[in-house]
Amino acid sequence: MTIPSRYSSLMELRHQTPQPLRSLAGVFTVGLVLLVWWFVTRGSIAEDRMLSPALLPSPGEVVRSFGSLWTERALLASIAASLQRVLIGFGLAIVVGVPAGVVAASWRLFEAGSAPFVLFGRNVPMAALIPLTMMWFGIDETQKVLFIFIACVPFVFSDTTSAVASVPDRYVETAQTLGASELQIVGKVLVPLAMPEIYNGLRHLFGLAFGYIMLAEVVNAEHGLGRLLMDSQRRSIPQHVILILLIVSLLAYGIDRLLLWFQRGLFPYRTVDA
Amino acid sequence: MTTDGPTIPGVTDAPAGTAPPAEVPPVVEFRNVTKRFGDLTVIRNVTFTVPDLPNKGEFIAILGPSGCGKSTVLRLIAGLRPHHPASEGTVLVQSKPVGEPGSDRSMVFQDYTSFDNRTVEDNVAFGLECRGVGAKERRERARQWIAKVGLNVDRDAQKYPSQLSGGMRQRVAIARTLILSPRIILMDEPFGALDPTTRLNMQSLLVDLWREAQATVFFVTHSIEEAVYLGDRVYVFSSAPGTILREMALPAPHLPPKEMQREPEFVERCFDIRDTIDKLEASTRAGDD
Repeated sequence: MTIPSRYSSLMELRHQTPQPLRSLAGVFTVGLVLLVWWFVTRGSIAEDRMLSPALLPSPGEVVRSFGSLWTERALLASIAASLQRVLIGFGLAIVVGVPAGVVAASWRLFEAGSAPFVLFGRNVPMAALIPLTMMWFGIDETQKVLFIFIACVPFVFSDTTSAVASVPDRYVETAQTLGASELQIVGKVLVPLAMPEIYNGLRHLFGLAFGYIMLAEVVNAEHGLGRLLMDSQRRSIPQHVILILLIVSLLAYGIDRLLLWFQRGLFPYRTVDA
Repeated sequence: MTTDGPTIPGVTDAPAGTAPPAEVPPVVEFRNVTKRFGDLTVIRNVTFTVPDLPNKGEFIAILGPSGCGKSTVLRLIAGLRPHHPASEGTVLVQSKPVGEPGSDRSMVFQDYTSFDNRTVEDNVAFGLECRGVGAKERRERARQWIAKVGLNVDRDAQKYPSQLSGGMRQRVAIARTLILSPRIILMDEPFGALDPTTRLNMQSLLVDLWREAQATVFFVTHSIEEAVYLGDRVYVFSSAPGTILREMALPAPHLPPKEMQREPEFVERCFDIRDTIDKLEASTRAGDD
């Protein structure tokens, strides 16, 4: 059997799949997964199913459980609580990490001095920070926010440092011979030129911070998506477990698109690929 | 350094050790300057004096093959590290040793160094902004200079560098430098990345602007035609380690480059320099062995 030549190129090594075939391929694989999911969970009597509803509820059951998640279990309050924690914790990490990163990249001795701490902060397993933050900050809201702050600040700092450091020396030299002082070079050249890169880094890191809410909400959280998820598992509501996972990913994706949209408006002179 | 080449009309070897008038200090003076990076000597024993002519700057073309240390000379004048300070010898600007870089010695690079986040207008006004000039005056003067370098104020002033061609970016870079009225302008192959036609247009633009700027220009190039067209004086450099092979004075350009390059005298001057380089390179090499 021979494949017609106009289709054969689709299987070439590293060949870029054209639109709308690209989207179509994605829809196809999702459809395939849904089909398999439906097949292994079909049937109204639990004992007749290939997989027990306790392991995997059917697609229909998951969708239908949205109502109870929204009303009885106050989904919106949990989303708000989680977002608030991430926004405050990550916001603090920006307020501290970005200026410190700019200073470290501008006067490299500071970077050398901070290197061991960055190394530690980037490599320590995040879950390992939970006991420490509880020891220092208790088990209330402060601990959750500061956990996200401590987890994120080394990344924010080092990403900012490398963004500022990667501005070519030529720009600095040009500014020097145009009479700019050191502080003017930092404020008028290095920071603005690094800003698109810094913002892009923060956008990716926000996704990381969002992932930490699960860890932050293990203990003593009234609301929160992480809390909701763990409760669903304990109370044996598998539909909600699946549903929350989907909602968390969609929420993270939505926030990322929103930040990307801002990015394009903030830096019109720099085009960024999605 | 003098050489006994064939005598060509319009080419005169500059008198050795041009003595400046006693009361006016020379603009730039190099005394036996050598720069080394580890074992690598980039320039060796470079000596020259550029006198301060009343109300007129000179256009000094520094000509030589790639990697002969031409840029090092400019960076030593500008005070840019790591080339500054010199390993041996003295670099004097208006009788003072070169210190930190400043807007009195402004530099235009070959790479496009327009600030991406600033519009054309804000790029041109950068130096004024650093000096604390008010927004209104800055804008006015920037717009004057945008027009002077041949850009369209209404169409181009609000554009970002990413929307400009290479030639337009270099026009912005020139405006950004000249707006500060520097005493010395350092140009490191500024037209090196441009296509031939744009390059000729930029050369004639530069001649026009420089006539009223009254600055001393140091212009590094590896194009003999460019050096002969622009230079009042040409320093011919040998390749690594760079040293001045020959210094010559040339008549000022009186025609646009396209016409000038057709003049028999112009062609002859270029061939003369090419022969000089070939001959001296050969003898230097022989002397090294």
